[in-house]
Amino acid sequence: MLSGCEKSLSAVHPAGPAAAVIATLWWVLLIGATLIFLFVGGLILWAWRRPPGEVAERRFVVWLGLGFPIVVLAALLAYGLIVGERLLPRPSSEVVEVRAEARQWDWRFGYADAPGRETENLLHIPAGRPVDVAISSIDVIHSFWVPRLAGKLDAVPGHVNVLRIEADLPGRYEGLGAEFNGTGYRDHRFTVVAHDEDGWRAFLQGETP
Amino acid sequence: MADVKAVLRLSLPLGIWLASFSAVYGLHGLLCSSRWAAPPLGLSERALLIGAAIAAIAAQSLCLAVMWSPRWQDPDLSIRRVSLALAATALVAAIWTLVPATATASCI
Amino acid sequence: MNALQRHRALSRIWASAPGLRGWFTTVNHTDLGRMFLVVAVFFFIVGGILAMLIRAQLASPRSAFLGPDHYNQVFTMHGTIMMFLFAIPLFEGLAVYLLPKMLGTRDLAFPRLTAYGFWCYVFGGAMMVFSLLAGVAPDSGWFMYPPLSSTIGAPGINPDFWLIGITFVEISAISAAVEITVTILRYRAPGMSLSRMPIFAWYALVTAVMILTGFPPLILGSILLELERAFGLPFFQVAQGGDALLWQHLFWLFGHPEVYIIFLPAAGAISTILPVMARTTLMGYGWIVAAAVSLGVLSFGLWVHHMFTTGIPHMGLAFFSAASTLVAVPTAVQIFAWIGTLSKGQPRLHLPMLWLLAFFATFVIGGLTGVMVAIVPFDWQAHDTYFIVAHLHYVLIGGFVFPMLAALYYWTPHFTGRKTYFQLGDAAFWLVFVGFHGTFLLLHWAGLLGMRRRIDTYEAGQGWEAINLIASISGFVMAIGFALVLIDVVINAVVAIRGSRDPWGAGTLEWAMPTPAAPYNFASLPHVTSRDPLYDDPALPVRLARGEGYLGDPARGRRETLSVEIASGAPRYITVFPGNTGLPMLMSAVTGLFFLGMLLKAYWLVPVSALGVIGCALFWAWSLGGTTPEGPLPVGRGPALVTASEAADPPGWWGSIFLLLADGTFFGSLLFGYAFLWTIAPNWPPPSYAEPSLGLAATVLAGAALAGLGARLRPLAGLVLGVAGVGALALAAIWTLTLVPDPAAHAYNATLWVLVGYALLHQAIALLMLLFLAFRRRAGHIGALSGGEPRIVRLWCDYAALVSLVVALAIGLPGWLT
Repeated sequence: MLSGCEKSLSAVHPAGPAAAVIATLWWVLLIGATLIFLFVGGLILWAWRRPPGEVAERRFVVWLGLGFPIVVLAALLAYGLIVGERLLPRPSSEVVEVRAEARQWDWRFGYADAPGRETENLLHIPAGRPVDVAISSIDVIHSFWVPRLAGKLDAVPGHVNVLRIEADLPGRYEGLGAEFNGTGYRDHRFTVVAHDEDGWRAFLQGETP
Repeated sequence: MADVKAVLRLSLPLGIWLASFSAVYGLHGLLCSSRWAAPPLGLSERALLIGAAIAAIAAQSLCLAVMWSPRWQDPDLSIRRVSLALAATALVAAIWTLVPATATASCI
Repeated sequence: MNALQRHRALSRIWASAPGLRGWFTTVNHTDLGRMFLVVAVFFFIVGGILAMLIRAQLASPRSAFLGPDHYNQVFTMHGTIMMFLFAIPLFEGLAVYLLPKMLGTRDLAFPRLTAYGFWCYVFGGAMMVFSLLAGVAPDSGWFMYPPLSSTIGAPGINPDFWLIGITFVEISAISAAVEITVTILRYRAPGMSLSRMPIFAWYALVTAVMILTGFPPLILGSILLELERAFGLPFFQVAQGGDALLWQHLFWLFGHPEVYIIFLPAAGAISTILPVMARTTLMGYGWIVAAAVSLGVLSFGLWVHHMFTTGIPHMGLAFFSAASTLVAVPTAVQIFAWIGTLSKGQPRLHLPMLWLLAFFATFVIGGLTGVMVAIVPFDWQAHDTYFIVAHLHYVLIGGFVFPMLAALYYWTPHFTGRKTYFQLGDAAFWLVFVGFHGTFLLLHWAGLLGMRRRIDTYEAGQGWEAINLIASISGFVMAIGFALVLIDVVINAVVAIRGSRDPWGAGTLEWAMPTPAAPYNFASLPHVTSRDPLYDDPALPVRLARGEGYLGDPARGRRETLSVEIASGAPRYITVFPGNTGLPMLMSAVTGLFFLGMLLKAYWLVPVSALGVIGCALFWAWSLGGTTPEGPLPVGRGPALVTASEAADPPGWWGSIFLLLADGTFFGSLLFGYAFLWTIAPNWPPPSYAEPSLGLAATVLAGAALAGLGARLRPLAGLVLGVAGVGALALAAIWTLTLVPDPAAHAYNATLWVLVGYALLHQAIALLMLLFLAFRRRAGHIGALSGGEPRIVRLWCDYAALVSLVVALAIGLPGWLT
């Protein structure tokens, strides 16, 4: 179980579609960055050993300095924006709506499908369905983050921010308050419980705590 | 006045970019705020934003043309080259940073 | 007169007072540059000790070494000290010391301002250190997000130390920036046109202008937050119409340019040192200038990338993501131009070069991870984790500390006049380099495994233990390395043998003088015809010492240098610098009392010390220039020139222009805040707002017209009209305040009070200046009668009138629109 535990807060061990595309993005970024780093290192080595003498300024400044980064960055920017667009909480009939209200130092969750139901530090969601979390705060700024499901989004007093999360499979996923919020910051955590279809129905009817 | 002109040649091109970039971002904020009225003349938010982006790019092109024209060139060759490079950079910056207005979701 | 006699005569004129008194009364840039550097290194040690406490705490899980209350102070102060009390002042110190020498002049434009800035830095820094020792240091993180840093989250005095102490220290940044800008533009060796400036001067110019436009939003934010904490003006409290996000915008509007304010001077040092180490000249000088300017401006369009997780719509994020990727392009231009420089030269592996190689290895990684976090979805995961901690240390240590160490080893022979003798430096280098990567490389991974920044300890079992243990051990190795660097430098400074004048074979003017530098820098000022004057004429130092340049004759017995035209570098007038004085230190001590009064809530002290500051400032300005016209004076070469007090654009006019640039940015940020609250803050529009009245509008218009006119008319009529105009504006301002009597009721009222307060402040400045000028005229001061002083006053009167008009418009507009 040790390896399972080690992954419980890991953004690179995704358990949902949003975290998965971001993890893929990361591996692409890592490979690209490594190649560029090796290229620059090799170039420095070459420059060091080259006997002195004039070189074409244009080659360094225009081709390497301007052309190379512009091409790479344009591709990267487009990739990032497309991924970002895909992760937005666009309206859809599939979506389950929940509320997350942060305070120093716990989380309270409410459910559009079960009015009046409130849970503390335990967020119930159905597995395999997109869930929109409406995030708010009653005191200072906090941030809602379930690393294995999606990126983070802040809870800002007076504002409601909506984050789309989704768990592929039923299970428990660790969540964190991810914006520094004072002396209780370390333990500002919660757990997301993803139910299968029956479990979710049972939860909405008040059968599971 | 030669003094002020040299300083302007170096600071204006990207200064214009910064102003128009901030203005488009500000316009985006206004359009997404529920508090202010809907876009005028039946235009969509996106049409307005794209219009603003095009205006910014046009301003930047004009700036480049001015830097290019012999009447405005700096007597010092290096400064002339640097100001041209900056005007070109500013044009690229305007296009690059405002392109998202065409494609990304405006208010979510 | 031979060279030695000239040296003695000039030294008599320029030297600081002997002994301890000299420390407090010196206005000489060489002294103050050294003092800046030493104090900055002291704060680096303090910040470093805090870093070691952090690494000791995080070495193992469930550590009980520090509790969260202490740990929060430690990491907040580590960041604050390294950013505000180490990095920026180190740049200031280096620029203050080097620039006049590189530019071929004798001092900075405003020597007393250098000293004033230095003492503000020392007193403000002392305030921060005191808070640390007393255990009441700020503990809300170095970016101080309200409401956590406001009275809701932090009722104690801790954040007040930050808001007040850092604002006090920022005075030194603004003063240094004004004077660096004016110095680079107007104080150069004759013939040094803009395109012949040493590349470091370009970087310093861009950096200084960035400080002038980057720091005002932070100063504004600090003032607003302190007003909220002290008097309940609710700028950031959502229930009364404030918005916590306003702080984030203002802070990062400063905070991102800040990163480049730190990197650019380092890049300037690299562009200076690298070609010398490679025995060649810099590749692509013009490209690098364009890249530096582009970086400077582009960095103002990135601030929202620190706010990708605050819920801003995706298109807004996309604009800033695009700008953040774009900023990598000018960086790449510089990196590849440097590699090109290496390839066309013949590099030597001296210590400075070794540190530059460490810079390449480290900064390229930091830049690449920077591009990663510019991509919005990736940042949603990485934000506020150790990935960011690792990234920012790669950028700041790799991009600032390593190049600065290269600069330290490069210029130490200049500071001390000695040869590097003991070879402790190599061992120190390897300890720091290996220690650094050991500390931070794996922390990227810890961040992706979910380790948040700023947690005081953690549970075992997340895969973080080994990474943190390695990081802590490596951190201590790095600290030992830094200690060795310091020991190395101190030993070499004290005991090494005298070295030659230009040990590296560089071509820039700072090496055209005997080292350590004499207080007057150059016995006579060179005439410059290229970027590397020493390569053209290796005998230049000897000729300058013989007095063959400008102003080689010390007969007038006062501190003189030349002021040149910005673009061409043609000499324009003679500037006469003030002598040694304790006034700057006194004035900064009184300024300190102002801030102390705010901090301790001893509000009676605030107006008293404000009056004290005004008194010092008036005395300061009164002592400039003389009462006897001198006309054109010989300067040794070329045509005779007048002194600054008879010139139409004296240094004070240029200083005012750039101070107004900072002031205007402050005002612009305030208007941005007002518009932001109207647009974004919940609980707006306010329940009631000021309706524009015709009488008020007429008063403002008439006042602005009179104030503008008065500054342009003949002395007596002008004075009467000007005072009447400013008086009308002040009347209108106070009238406006009566319309919104309670500033604590709503953020709208609070913002109006600040807007009107800003207008009142500038009206008071304009009034003081009008009266001051009238008195100067009566006393027969040349500057006031025939020189540029009336133009300076006109500038400030116009600004006051303009500000009053804009404030009136901003207040009236919503009423008119609805």
